[in-house]
Parts: sequence; C-alpha cells; structure tokens
Amino acid sequence: MFRFQSLDEDCTLEKEEGLVEEEDEIDQFNDDTFGDGAIDDDWQEEHKRLAELEERKNEGLGGLGLGGLGMGGMGGGDASTVQLPPPASRVPHPSSLPPPHHSLSSMPPPGLEDRGGGDLAESLAMLILGADPAIASVGGPTGPGDRSTGLPPPPSMPQQHQLPPHQQLTPSGLPPGPLHPSLLSYQQHQHLLRRGGPPMQQMNSHNIWENNMGFGPVSVTPGLVTQMEDSPLMSIIKEVGLPNRPPPVMSEDGRDLSERAPPPRSSSPVIGSPPVRAVPIGTPPKQPMSHAMNHHQQNSPLCRPPFPAGVGPVLSQIQRAQMLNSQVAGFPRGCQGPPLLPGGGGFRPFFGQPPPHRMGPHHNHVPCPIIRHNTTHLHPQHRRMLTQRMQSRGGERGGRVGDWRSRDPYSNLMTQREKEWVAKIQMMQLQSTDPYLDDYYYQNYFEKMEKRQERDRDGVRKEHTTKLITPQVAKLEHTYRPVQFAGSLGKLTVSSVNNPRKMIDTVVTSRTDDEEKREKQVWNKRRQILYTVEKMYSLLLEVQDFEKRFMQTPEEQREALLEQHKTHTLQLYASLREKEWDDRVSDEQCLLIMSVRKGKRLISRLIPFLPPLQAAAVVMGIARNLPALAKKDKQDQALCWLVEPVAVVISSLSSAALTDLLQELQGSEGQLSKVLQNKFGVTLLYLILSEGERMQSSDLNCQLMDDNRWTELVFSVTRELLNVPPSSLSPPLFTPPNLLSLFSRYVDRQRLELLQEKLQISSLSR
Amino acid sequence: MRFTSRPKMNYMPGTASLIEDIDKKHLVLLRDGRTLIGFLRSIDQFANLVLQQTVERIHVGKRYGDIPRGIFIVRGENVVLLGEIDLEKESDTSLQQVCIEDILEEQRLQQQSRQEAEKTKHLALKERGLVMPRPDIMDEYGVQHQY
Repeated sequence: MFRFQSLDEDCTLEKEEGLVEEEDEIDQFNDDTFGDGAIDDDWQEEHKRLAELEERKNEGLGGLGLGGLGMGGMGGGDASTVQLPPPASRVPHPSSLPPPHHSLSSMPPPGLEDRGGGDLAESLAMLILGADPAIASVGGPTGPGDRSTGLPPPPSMPQQHQLPPHQQLTPSGLPPGPLHPSLLSYQQHQHLLRRGGPPMQQMNSHNIWENNMGFGPVSVTPGLVTQMEDSPLMSIIKEVGLPNRPPPVMSEDGRDLSERAPPPRSSSPVIGSPPVRAVPIGTPPKQPMSHAMNHHQQNSPLCRPPFPAGVGPVLSQIQRAQMLNSQVAGFPRGCQGPPLLPGGGGFRPFFGQPPPHRMGPHHNHVPCPIIRHNTTHLHPQHRRMLTQRMQSRGGERGGRVGDWRSRDPYSNLMTQREKEWVAKIQMMQLQSTDPYLDDYYYQNYFEKMEKRQERDRDGVRKEHTTKLITPQVAKLEHTYRPVQFAGSLGKLTVSSVNNPRKMIDTVVTSRTDDEEKREKQVWNKRRQILYTVEKMYSLLLEVQDFEKRFMQTPEEQREALLEQHKTHTLQLYASLREKEWDDRVSDEQCLLIMSVRKGKRLISRLIPFLPPLQAAAVVMGIARNLPALAKKDKQDQALCWLVEPVAVVISSLSSAALTDLLQELQGSEGQLSKVLQNKFGVTLLYLILSEGERMQSSDLNCQLMDDNRWTELVFSVTRELLNVPPSSLSPPLFTPPNLLSLFSRYVDRQRLELLQEKLQISSLSR
Repeated sequence: MRFTSRPKMNYMPGTASLIEDIDKKHLVLLRDGRTLIGFLRSIDQFANLVLQQTVERIHVGKRYGDIPRGIFIVRGENVVLLGEIDLEKESDTSLQQVCIEDILEEQRLQQQSRQEAEKTKHLALKERGLVMPRPDIMDEYGVQHQY
C-alpha cells in the first residue's frame, strides 16, 4: 500500500515557527529542484568519477551478468552516455530519466555533500536504489530466474566490503554502485525512509531523515523493538543480510529534508473546515509511532486515524473489541496499546471499558465476548451463529497457521493497524440509519430465522425475543459558523469542500408567537376569501358558458343542462346571501369578497346572471356597505366595474326597491358624505336619482310618491350635496341628464342653481 | 525469528473481507482472463491487491504453464474472483505442468482455432440474417476469455 507522506503538525497556520520552517524547507526544495542546487561541482565531473567507480566494480564482480542497469537513468541526458566508459554499453539509455531528476542531484542535503564530495551520496543512493525493489525491476522483464524472489536483495557497496554471498544475488539487474545521486528521486527517498527500519535505529537523533517530530520515519521507540521482529524488512534482512549503512550525517542546520511535505493547505483547520487531516482521509496508517496505553495521545496528525468524528458508536465498539483483542492476544509490545481514538475526547467514555483483568498474559482461546462487541451492527441471531461457528473452528486453525508463518519472511507486511484500518472502513460502510432500507433481505432473513427458531423451541425453552438493535448513526449536522473578529464588520469566510461559500446571506427574522399567530390568521383569512372567490368563479364561468353549451347539446339533454344551470346560479347566490334570509345578502360575506379585487370583478360579472330579486339584494348589500367598500377599494379602484351591472339592476328596480336602495345608501350617519367622496358612490347615487326621476317623469302613477320616503331621501341628498365641500365631492363616472329635472321638483330655485353649479362643476370635471 | 501468534480476530464477522486472507496463497482471476497465483500481502478498501511471488498461470486444456511475475499490484475493480489455495491440496491436481514456451504455443493454437470457429459461425449466422454481437466488441478489453 502506498504510504502517504505525513504532514507535520507544524504545518498549520497557527504556528509561526512551523510555517517558517516549512517555507525554508520549501525554498530549499525549490532551490534544489529548480536552482543551481547546493553543490558547486560539475555534475559531469561527478558522473565521470562514478563511472570510473563502476568500472572498477564491474571488474570486481568478474563479469556477472549485469543484465541491464536497473536504473532508469544515470543522471539523465545523453551526455552521460558519452562520459561513461564501456559499462555504458550494458546500460540502457538513460535518457528515460527526465531532467528534473537530474536537478535532484543536489537533493542529498548539503550536509551530505560536505562529506567527501559525493562518495557518501553515491553510496546512499545505491543503498536506496538497491533497497527498493521497484526501482530494481524497472529495467524491464528479466529472465525468469531473477524474479523468483519477490524482493531483490540490496546491492553491495562497491568500494566498501562486498559480502561474497551477495555477489550471486546481484545479477538481477541491480544498479551497480556509482550511481549518480540524482537518482535519489523523491519516491525512492520515501521508500528508504519507510522501509529502512532497523538501520535507522542506529542513527542518532540528529539524523537528517528525522522529521520535526523527532521520530524516525519508522518508529524507533524502544517499545517497538519487539515489534520490529515482525517487520518484514527485518525478516528479509535477516535472511538476506544487511547492507552497510553509511554513518549518520548531521546536516548543518538540522533541517528536515526528508519529509518534503506538500505545502500546507491554504485553509486553516480552524476556519471553515473540519479539523485538518494532515493525512488525507483514505490514507492507510503509517507504522505506529508509539503505543501509549493511557489516553495521552500524541496530537500529531500522524497518529490520528483518518476518520471523521461522526463515526460514532460502532467505531467505539470496534475499538473496544480490538483493544480487548490486543490485550488478550498479548501482542508483544512494550506497552499494550489500544487503537487510537478518532477525533478526540468524544469517545472517552467508551474507552473506560476495558476490564483490567484482561491485561496480562495472553490466552490462546478464542474470545467470544469480544466478538460480541465487534458485531453490534449484526442481527443478534447472526451473531449467535457466528460465535458458535467461531468456537468450533477456533482451535484447529491456531497451531498450523503459526507454524507456517514462522517460516514466511514476508509475512505481516500489512501491519495490524493497517488491517484494522481497512476493517474500520468496511465497517463504516455497514453503518446505516435505516437498516430496512439498506439491507432489507439481511434483516428479513434473520428475522425469519429467529421466528423459526422460536417456533421450534416453543414449549421447550422460551428464549426472550430479541429485538433487532442496530446502531443508528445519528446524522450530525456540522454547520459552519463563520469566524468573526471582534469589532470588525462582517464575517470571515473560508470556503472548503465541506462548506462551500455562501452565495446568499439569509437572515432569519424570528417573530414572537403572538405576532406570528396574528399574521397567520390574517393570511389564513385572506386565503379563505380567495378560495371562496375562486370557487365562485368556477361556478360563474360555467354559468356564463351555459349559453354556448346549450346550443351545442341535443334536445334531450337540454333539460338537464338547464337544471344544472339553475343550480349553479342558486349556488352562486347562496354563497353570498345570509344564512336565513333569502333576500338579503350577507354583509360579512359580501364585504369579504369585495375586499379582494377579484371578488369585485366576480360580483360585477355575477350580477347579470342572477335573478332580479337576488340581484337587487346584492345591489342593496353593496349600497349598504358602500363606505366600507369604498375604504377598501382605495388601492384597487375596482368598484367602478360594478357600475354597469348595477345600473342595469337599478333600471329594473321597482319604486319601492329603489327607495329602499336609496335609503340603504344613506343608511347610517354620515354615510352619505362618505358615499359622495367615492366615485362609485356618487355614480350610484346619481343612478338611483336618475332612475327615480325617470320613473316619475315617465310613469304618471308611479308609486314613488306614495310615501314620503322618497321625497325625504331626496331632500337629504340635496342637503348633503349642498353642504358637502366641492373638494370632497368626487366626480362621477357619468352624470345622468335628468338629474336637474329631479332636483327642480324638490328644491327651490336658489338651491337649484347652487346644485347646478356644483353638479356642473362635477359634470365638467368629469 | 521469534514466533508471534496472530490473534484469531474476526474483524468482519458475517461479511466478506480479505483481511483474513492476508499472507495466504491465492488464485486471482482477472477480468481480462488472466489467472494469477500469489501470496496476498496487502489489501485496501477497494480490494486492490498486492500479490507477492506472483505467477501467471496459463491453462490450455489439461495442461498449464507458469510465468513468474514477481510482485503484482492489482486494481480491485479488475478482479473477478479470488480464492485461497490450500497448500496441501495444491499439488493434488490432475493438471499437467509444462514449460512456458509450450503452453504459450498451445494457447496460441487454441486462440486461433477458436477464432476460426467464431468466424465460421459468424458467417453462417450472417447468411441467415442474424448478427450476433461479438464478445470482443462487447468487452471493453477486447480480449477473448479463456474458458
């Protein structure tokens, strides 16, 4: 598995020193890569020297078939081939290596170069290259014989002692000694650091390959010495022999050059993102640094397993299980280390679990209870089956496996931690907030099995029904709270993958309950009205379309259609009228409907279709409520739509009705003045008066004069008209011509003239 | 080397996981039809495999030949199936091992004959108006599978 570079903790923006260090490091890096580099001497010279060395080495090996230089490049560039003597013929063209590699020639830190001008570098290079099987086999497919061993043994140093057994091992195309340090590519570097376990131990703490943390690339703490025995490299080395390690080198300024971390992430771990994982999520764990039993974790990102904190109870179960396992199984570690907790203290309570008595000498029995801990996500039935299976199979496997593994030098390449890590990921995938949705058949199967078992055992042994308890992972909402500095305007927003930038800054205005209630009520009412209006409209439209449909339907069905029509109209009226009185329009309802513009329109369209009595009632209602309506109409000014249909109605009114209407119009105190202020009101008034006049003038024996009501009403109207200031007199939509004659009946000349003036004013200003 | 006992830990009871298969000899069948045999050394969450001492085994009829390959890293998505090889029963097979050149030759012949058969079949079908989708067009790798 490819092991990622780990970032130093210091890489956060918070620590100044760390940042500076990083920069220095980067600069250095850049310098090496792109600049002249730290070395002064000519690389060509260097190369020549190395080539000579190689010659010597080749002679020493006595013509062992160096089947091609395993190395992809001997310092890049065609120039090198020119400089190399005959061995070059065996060397594949090194032009494959791109120039950057060449510029890495200065990559071995300056400290190295100070020593003997390159000897060390080249020997180091050789060690690295030799130790890395990937590089060794780059030279292409060699003969079958070479590949029999998975890991080609490391090469021997040419100028230093060559162990005779090694000579036979080098034919697998390993790079001979004098390779240019330029071959120390980044990856190779890393590989060495990772794999060069035991040799590193011998280095002192000022090893150039130490990272800032003070650890070697592979854990060097004493607690892990025993663990080293498991290390595959260890085993390989024991089998195959140790290459000679150059003495540790102290760099001049003790800079860490080994772990050339990529530049720190631009977003601060605090602002905006979830805690920065120095190791990106999805990275397998490195070799464990140390195993502290206590909760005191090194806060390094290296040790933090790459999991979000949201992985809750299941993980802790796993950890408990694994912890117990590790204790029971008795790993020969110095201190028995539990796997590290994810994300901090939230899971400490779970941590307190391990029963102390489990620590100590290990027993080789299969731990049944531990399985239980590990399997909380499983159906209980399933778990039971598994434990049974475990127990039956537990004994036989143990011994054999152990025996075989003792002979396998490459075993345990994958450390326990890594296995746990993979297991964790796989377990995470099993978590589900809705088990029935995610794994229906699994749940069902085990439920059925349970039921079956119960049925079988019924009467013999009653097992209490176990309900399926699967850990429900709570969906945690990680809301982003933007960082705000005190006294500043606005909020600092750092967008990251987990919180993309806010496009809209919405502010939630929270209202008190009462206010909300009131507002709601208001809205509800309005909605109600609109709803009613809509319903009425649909009826109205049907009524209106009746004519057309009537023409289209055949004779037989016309009767039915007629009936339908009637009911519709009745319905329409029914929605308007009072509950008990059939001939009076409900004020409330009328008001409500008319308060909406659409309602007014509705009424205006409706009136023509209503039977005369009902229409009259509607008009009455309008007149009665005119002031209120007028007030509500201020915005819409839609009352004027009513003029036409109302006019029609009025003209069909009887005298009594007309009188009534006029009375209604004047109804309450001060109503008339309000009426006069409204255009529609004035128009209505005029209509009524004009109708009255028409009646009087046309029909000699009209009953208008029978009671005094009409006269009185007209008197009051005239009075009002005279009294009202001209400014508040709203111009009507039109002035019927016969008003003057009406007034001439009731008022004297003087007043008439005044009225005329006023009305003329009104009529002129029309 | 000191013997360390591995705990009998069941990481994923009831589920399929390769963790217990580590360090065991496996036979891996790939999507392109190759058969690899090697020691499974490392896995990851995608079931990418690291096989060590890998051998590619070519089967033709009752004979097979091995090509040693060294270390293989197989991308998980390319694995059709894999299974543990019982080391004791491994030699207990009726198949006959031959040297690699022979087996390659046999394989070539087999491929050839198969292709010819395919061609004639295709032609015959075409005459009848039926065009069967050819597997090499269907399969993205365009390789004939070895049965």
